[in-house]
Amino acid sequence: MSASQSAVRSRAEAVKVSRTFDWMIIFTLFFVILGGYHVHFMLVAGDWDFWSDWKDRRLWVTVLPIMAITFPAAVQAVLWWRYRIAFGATLCILGLLLGEWVNRYFNFWGWTYFPINFVFPSQLIPGAIVLDVVLLVSGSMQLTAVVGGLAFGLLFYPGNWPMMAPLHLPVEYNGMMMTLADLSGYHYVRTGMPEYIRMVEKGTLRTFGKDVAPVSAFFSGFVSIIVYFVWHFFGRWFGNTAFTTGS
Amino acid sequence: MKLIKDGMAKLSFVALLVTVTAAMFYAPTASAHGEKSQAAFMRMRTIHWYDLNWSKDTVPVNDTMTVTGKFHVFAGWPETVAKPEVSFLNIGIPGPVFIRAGSWVGGQLVPRSVSLELGETYEFKVLLKARRPGDWHVHSMMNVQDGGPIIGPGKWVTITGSMSEFKNPITTLTGQTIDLENWNIGNIYFWHAFWYAIGLAYIGYWVRKPVFVPRLIAMDAGKADTLITATDKKVGIGFALATMAIVAATMQSTNEQYPITTPLQAGLLRGMKPIEMPARTVAVKVDSATYRVPGRAMQMTLTITNNGDSSVRLGEFMTASVRFLDPAVHEDDTGYPDDLLAEEGLTVSDNSPIAPGQTRTVEVTASDAAWEVYRLADLIYDPDSRFAGLLFFTDEGGNRQMVTIDAPLIPSFI
Repeated sequence: MSASQSAVRSRAEAVKVSRTFDWMIIFTLFFVILGGYHVHFMLVAGDWDFWSDWKDRRLWVTVLPIMAITFPAAVQAVLWWRYRIAFGATLCILGLLLGEWVNRYFNFWGWTYFPINFVFPSQLIPGAIVLDVVLLVSGSMQLTAVVGGLAFGLLFYPGNWPMMAPLHLPVEYNGMMMTLADLSGYHYVRTGMPEYIRMVEKGTLRTFGKDVAPVSAFFSGFVSIIVYFVWHFFGRWFGNTAFTTGS
Repeated sequence: MKLIKDGMAKLSFVALLVTVTAAMFYAPTASAHGEKSQAAFMRMRTIHWYDLNWSKDTVPVNDTMTVTGKFHVFAGWPETVAKPEVSFLNIGIPGPVFIRAGSWVGGQLVPRSVSLELGETYEFKVLLKARRPGDWHVHSMMNVQDGGPIIGPGKWVTITGSMSEFKNPITTLTGQTIDLENWNIGNIYFWHAFWYAIGLAYIGYWVRKPVFVPRLIAMDAGKADTLITATDKKVGIGFALATMAIVAATMQSTNEQYPITTPLQAGLLRGMKPIEMPARTVAVKVDSATYRVPGRAMQMTLTITNNGDSSVRLGEFMTASVRFLDPAVHEDDTGYPDDLLAEEGLTVSDNSPIAPGQTRTVEVTASDAAWEVYRLADLIYDPDSRFAGLLFFTDEGGNRQMVTIDAPLIPSFI
């Protein structure tokens, strides 16, 4: 066989090779995203995602979607503009969640014995699916940023509430009221994390009474729009093949 | 020559692999909290922990023990460490081997940060419930915002039993009794698995068809519009609508299931009640202090004035949780950790009772290997070469009186 001959000899073989290639790329892409995105998310969202007593109605709601929309935007850009594939955001979030669960289960629980109900990760899948579908239907980066980005921020809190609500039951403890999440943070000693490090319920959103979560979610959605644009362009730049031109 | 070079390169690589592999088999147990590594001046001039008591040496799982005592917030707090205006009474243990069932400063529960006053002394108590079997070093600990952790003395405590038997029952204000150890875990697993399955189904829809090569070829051929079909869009819209509907419905049903929830609680606790210390009747002036490096001993010249109505004797010098005792005056019967206790470490040139109204200048030597073991001798390398500590005088009635000292320290190398 000369160098100019194809390695496959029939259409069936070509299809088989193409599918094998698909699975190899998806497998590799999934774990590369998992590694990079997980590190990114631990660094920028960190404690807000690690501990249930950080998951408040102001900062958790605001910070996490903003920090989480980054990789989905970039991967969406690569997969959409080069392949017209609309599952970039969902693939990223599934990778992130798998990485988070491996970390929480083997590290936080297996090594240091924090109960899972105190250290489980936030889930971002509803926002990711909507982000992908907006891109799929519109084919527009602008619409995906504006509608999808906003939805990514808005869906985060209600998507997590079924897991968080049972931890926000009030309890009277030695004459003070706290939530079960607060009590977990107090009971399960984090020697390296004094209470004052915890950034919860801080800010100036005091004119909305108790209904501050929707306001935070909208704010998070607006900032997610901007972050989406920035990271979408990162993705397009990262996915370009200009350096191979002429080879 | 090339052969030799290649051979050496291969051998070096093999040696590196063997070394790395061998290192993996050496994993000694981390048995303390790095307290010796903390700068000596921080341990000497910030929080002085004293009268500490660990109620038990061995605790079965689910049983409780307390760590109690007092801490003095040193008035000569170093300029380089943030003041304890936002502080948290912590407990130095290797993770949640105990749960902290309660902690109090001056009788006030302190699940949150507190504001402490310089020069004041506070009583504290930490109630611990045993959770994970093993031998654990249990320290008192105060975290100071922007200042770092200030760790107190540590003592080994053994937890016996099995962690699987640990229970943490809590009754909520809605009348429900739950076990905080495993409350809500099934719910968390369910929702994560549920949404993960939906995410996989969405991706599954796309990967059932060829993904990369044919699409790339079509894109390069300018046929991008053919790659997204009307069915793709319909399926996508179906996923999006279902997602939003499920989120809305589960939010609604959760609110119906848990109609009463409260936000996370946070805030600084002020007004901690210090101990009302009796007026000091003993005044101490440090005339000079030297640390003799070869002898591992601190020598102080003190001028002591007894303004009280009972004669006193110097029984103890304590700094950075290390206690130097004169056994003729004071013996420890509290089970204080051996490595922090120099039972015969304090020598006073004339330790006969100082009568009321009398002033006496004495040479005091505090010597013990603890100076080296606890790296207090490193004080001589600090930018502000001062030491501080507590002196305890005992009167005729056996009452102890605490006096703080704070003075420059001159090292002696010969």
